[in-house]
Amino acid sequence: MLRIENLNKSYRDRPVLQDLNLSIATGEIYGLLGPNGAGKTTTINLICNLLKPDSGRIEIGNQPVSEATKKLIGVAPQENLLYRSLTCRENLDFFARIYGLSRLERQKQVQACLAAVNLVERANSPAETLSGGMRRRLSMAIALVHQPKLVILDEPTTGLDIEARYEIWDLIRQLQEQGVTVLLTTHLLDEAERLCQRIGILKGGQLLVEGALEELRQRIPAKEIVVVNTPEEQRAIERGQQFGFTPRRYGSDLIFWIPEQLSLKEIFDCFVDIPLDSLSRQPVSLEHVYIEVTQSQNNIGFPLPAVIPDPWTEESSY
Amino acid sequence: MGKYWYETIAVAQRILTELLRRRRSLIFWIIFPISVLLLNGLILQERANLTTADAFANAAPPSLVGAALFFSCLGGSVATVVSEREHQTLKRLFISPLNGVSYFLGIFVAHTCIGIGQTLIVYAIAAWVGAPLNGSILLGILIILLSIVAYVGVGFILGTQFARRTEDVNALVATFGVPLLMLGGAFLPTQLFPELLLRIAEYNPIYHMIEALTGVSANGEELAAIAPHFWFLTGFAALMVFAGWLSYRHMVRLERRL
Repeated sequence: MLRIENLNKSYRDRPVLQDLNLSIATGEIYGLLGPNGAGKTTTINLICNLLKPDSGRIEIGNQPVSEATKKLIGVAPQENLLYRSLTCRENLDFFARIYGLSRLERQKQVQACLAAVNLVERANSPAETLSGGMRRRLSMAIALVHQPKLVILDEPTTGLDIEARYEIWDLIRQLQEQGVTVLLTTHLLDEAERLCQRIGILKGGQLLVEGALEELRQRIPAKEIVVVNTPEEQRAIERGQQFGFTPRRYGSDLIFWIPEQLSLKEIFDCFVDIPLDSLSRQPVSLEHVYIEVTQSQNNIGFPLPAVIPDPWTEESSY
Repeated sequence: MGKYWYETIAVAQRILTELLRRRRSLIFWIIFPISVLLLNGLILQERANLTTADAFANAAPPSLVGAALFFSCLGGSVATVVSEREHQTLKRLFISPLNGVSYFLGIFVAHTCIGIGQTLIVYAIAAWVGAPLNGSILLGILIILLSIVAYVGVGFILGTQFARRTEDVNALVATFGVPLLMLGGAFLPTQLFPELLLRIAEYNPIYHMIEALTGVSANGEELAAIAPHFWFLTGFAALMVFAGWLSYRHMVRLERRL
């Protein structure tokens, strides 16, 4: 559905995207992750034909991006961008008209979208009277009203409470069931874990890693992660290494990659004479992969193991 | 062509629906021309020793094109563009296949509807007090439409180039608008102007709008008699549409991204 080949974009002399290659299959939910300034929004701007690339190619449904492909895309931007004094129905109807739907199609689609985002009862309420979650759902409904083939959701649940998040997640899953392709950008890694078939991590305009969640997890050579809180970190690091644990620094947390499944007692025994404020175990998650890929100060002076590609010292092969 | 028409009507209808939704604004747009007409009419009647009918026949053109349309069409189109920028709904329109021409025309059509509504109010009140409508109605409508076009064009220039927030609109309209209105004869007949001000006024498009419409609707003059005013207005309207379009394109280049 979406194919991006060798895409480059600079603002003045600052490269924002460098040789980006990415493809998303029809009906797939693809998560594009990355820190602020990684190039996610620029990628969306290019897909939406709001910016022109310096070089490279973008195809949507085998058509090169142009004004004509705008009808194939539905975008729910980070901000809701609604006409606040118009009702939900009027907002939807306006955008349906802009996308060229006939009166009959509009009536059908507006009603279907209101139902899909669970806003039928608030159909005649002005957008400014809706809660944050409802506004976000309305924004998503606007993105869907013309039945796009590719839906781009830019941080769809940022700032929402957990209940509203679940509603949005359900809606995204429904889209997938209907065969709609979804490109999702988010800073919420659990959101990406829950929803996405494949995930790409972008940094400095480069796609550093890409793959299914399990593939990404396997890039960390650990069965589990142990987070240690101790006043004697150096001793803990040395002790961990004696047992084959790999020490890492994630923010202020000292963590160890544990290469094999150990019981809690076995882990405690490793740090037996070291004063511990706390010790917790975690499964390897997308968060750990993300931190490894996007931050360069995790390894406390120890080189990364060969299993995980080091994006700062060598060309990523992914 | 159908696409443009369809989109234009959608944009215009949306603007008008928003106006209807904000009932207070709608009421103010009704009260404003009525109050200006009544004040102008009563002042003219008293100070120029005119009959009520003649006073209101002469007061209607400046009240309409000099005051009502200025604030509703120029101020309104600035406010529309600025509101779209401020609330970033313009970005949502950039994502959509909406054509820039349709957007411009949609704003023009919406403000034309508001202008027509104000025209009907002003002339209905003038007729009610016995003011005659002397000249060609078609020519009068053409002058009003040209005035609306010019105002919307200027509104696009100001809204896209000089105002980023709603608060900027008041300052802009007050700074540029009020002196131009006074110099155009919207609140004070130009016959009372000193020679120097009258010469300056000849470069003021509002002066030509008022003179052209007064000539037609109050004095029953033909196109030939108002030709200098009419052609100045036509040229100004064309220039403002062109400049407004360029300004819009410039803004799109700068803001066309999420």
